[in-house]
Amino acid sequence: MLEIKSLCIKQSKQALIGGLNAQIAQGEVLTLMGASGSGKSTVLHWMIGALDPIFSATGELILNGKRVDQIPTEQRRIGILFQDDLLFAHLSVGQNLAFALPNEVKGQSLRRQVIEAQLAQIGLIGFYDRDPATLSGGQRARVSVLRTLLAQPQALLLDEPFGKLDAVLREQFRAFVFERVTALAIPTLLVTHDIADIPPQGRVLQIEDFQHA
Amino acid sequence: MRIGLPLIVARGASKGSTLLAIGLICIVFLPVIPGLVRMGFDFFQISHWFAIWQDTQTIPALMATLSSTLISGVLALALSLSIAIEKYPSNAWHSIVKRLPSLLAMPHAAFAIGFAFLFAPAGWLARAIAPLMAWDSPPDWLTVQDPYGMSLGIALAIKESFFLLWVMMNLLGERHIAQQITVARSLGYQRQQIWRSIILPQILPRMMWPFAAVLAYSLSVVDMALILGPTTPPTFAVLVWQWLSDPDPQRQAQGGVAALILLLVLLTLGGVLRGVAWVYQRATVDLDGLRQPNRFSMLSWLYQFGVLISFSLMILLFVWSLAQSWFFPALWPDELSIKAWLNADFTPFKTSLWLGLATSLIALVMVLIWLEWGPQRNNAWLYAPLVLPVIPLSAAQYFALLVLHLDGTVMGLIWSHLLWVVPYVLLSLVGAYRQFDPRLMLTAQALGYPRWQACLYMKWPLLMRPILGAFALGFAVSIAQYVPTLFAGAGRFSTVTTEAIALSSGGNRRTMAIQAVLLMLLPMLAFALAAIASHWQAKHRRGLR
Repeated sequence: MLEIKSLCIKQSKQALIGGLNAQIAQGEVLTLMGASGSGKSTVLHWMIGALDPIFSATGELILNGKRVDQIPTEQRRIGILFQDDLLFAHLSVGQNLAFALPNEVKGQSLRRQVIEAQLAQIGLIGFYDRDPATLSGGQRARVSVLRTLLAQPQALLLDEPFGKLDAVLREQFRAFVFERVTALAIPTLLVTHDIADIPPQGRVLQIEDFQHA
Repeated sequence: MRIGLPLIVARGASKGSTLLAIGLICIVFLPVIPGLVRMGFDFFQISHWFAIWQDTQTIPALMATLSSTLISGVLALALSLSIAIEKYPSNAWHSIVKRLPSLLAMPHAAFAIGFAFLFAPAGWLARAIAPLMAWDSPPDWLTVQDPYGMSLGIALAIKESFFLLWVMMNLLGERHIAQQITVARSLGYQRQQIWRSIILPQILPRMMWPFAAVLAYSLSVVDMALILGPTTPPTFAVLVWQWLSDPDPQRQAQGGVAALILLLVLLTLGGVLRGVAWVYQRATVDLDGLRQPNRFSMLSWLYQFGVLISFSLMILLFVWSLAQSWFFPALWPDELSIKAWLNADFTPFKTSLWLGLATSLIALVMVLIWLEWGPQRNNAWLYAPLVLPVIPLSAAQYFALLVLHLDGTVMGLIWSHLLWVVPYVLLSLVGAYRQFDPRLMLTAQALGYPRWQACLYMKWPLLMRPILGAFALGFAVSIAQYVPTLFAGAGRFSTVTTEAIALSSGGNRRTMAIQAVLLMLLPMLAFALAAIASHWQAKHRRGLR
């Protein structure tokens, strides 16, 4: 379970967000809605541990009973997906995924096997050695999701991950992401300004409700 | 819909204005070629090679040059990389980057003089430890002017690390890099490993040319070498410069050949660099998923130490310029006074001022015309003077000036500076210029303005901040020129740079410090004025900030 306890974010004494509380159960996708520039991405940056130094924040982030907002990003075990796929341009598709794969999977050939199996599952058979730049937008988006999930995060943050895709692709990709998240049963926070992004029967928080506290 | 740049070029660029743009740039570049060709002919005459080989100074001079160049290049890269790895991204990074402009604006010659004030046997450092060691006269140190060019190399490394860090700052400013770091951290990796496996492979290839510029500069630097480099024999660049300035035509030809040798050394170093880069890029990335901890980094401390040295020597220059009498081992002058300033010679200052203003203004006009009407592609050759050694280019310029009887004239002097000022102005302006929204230009032209009017009333005023910045940079580059000023000016013009270096061989530290302070202040004033002017323009226009 992922829990935000009384989060307040200030920008030079001016309160941006006040009294934000939220609980996200295993396998649940909670949506945080708000117009662009409303500060919803700032909440996300706080959760991942990359808050811009011009802001200051108080509050607690608790993941599976452990407080994580004071520890560095790399120890939080929270995955993040941005609007851009952010594949590393100097690595092949497979190497991008190998970067995420935990060290517990040992041996070069086994690591490659695991990644190739995963690629096959998302319909990208034989893409291990491909240059990410030669992939279509939809393919890159899927590789990016796979990279995030391969690291076995215990929670997931989605920062408008569907924003840059066209309508048809968007529909497919949304279904793809939600299906994977449900399968992994981890708490997920989705940040968006688009009502269509909200998963079926999903809970929704409006960022505006926390801005006049 | 975004309208592409080519459409607008097709609309507005007439053949005549394109020819004007190319013609202006050719005035700067083309006359250099005959001199280079002539040196090329001398290059194949075995007698010159024999004379160079016979000179006992050649080999030790080459050694000193190689060691100072390698120390400078490798150490500058190591210092700047280690501080970036250690601090980017963080709050501390912002304060480190904030200090860069004043460190970059410091001219090399003034830096060298300050460095000597700090580290020479009678320098401030020796004075600071003198009570501990019970010295009453300066120690027998070889801290500057050592025969291997090590102090020269270290001073260059500190100065160039700021330049490389500035290049890195621009590359790191791209948004996707910061996000990639966040992604990699969320995957469980720590700072140093992220840099090794994700950031360096992306930014190092793009730092090749700036690094080549550092090597070229270190290889052919004369002003700093005269102060910090070995004396008998000097560094190879200084030796070549002495030969070229010799009245004997035989010696001059020998100097021309040696200048080309300098170029060959640079090309060799460039080849080695390419080889290293090739191996680096093919080195297999070992992605075993092992998350490694950070290690302690000593070099990033050394970078901070370099910053400390740089600011200390700036202050030291000021203090020396005000020192009435300051004998070893006193830490502070007996008396401070502005008397020396009242009697100071301001002629070099005035010369530098008009020369810098004229050169950067002409360069700015040329560059603006080039950017607007010149060819949009294949412009890389314009940056050649920045990655080539100064000496052969300057000697070739001098040859052209002699033929045209323009040596020692104001026109010749300004022209000689343009070869370095134009590329720097172009480099600093090209990014902002190419990013300018072409739809704005289209709007102005649709309203009935011809292209040059649209530039004059809309585009250039909108680009005033980068234009003023480029102008200030051009001014700073002109101020710092040493070898071209001496060659093209035929010794008739004395600028703050040439004067400060000339005084360094004499005994009066106070007058030298005054010229060095003036040298240091000129570019800082230019950058400050540019900043104030663009701030003033943007006072009531938020969109310009």
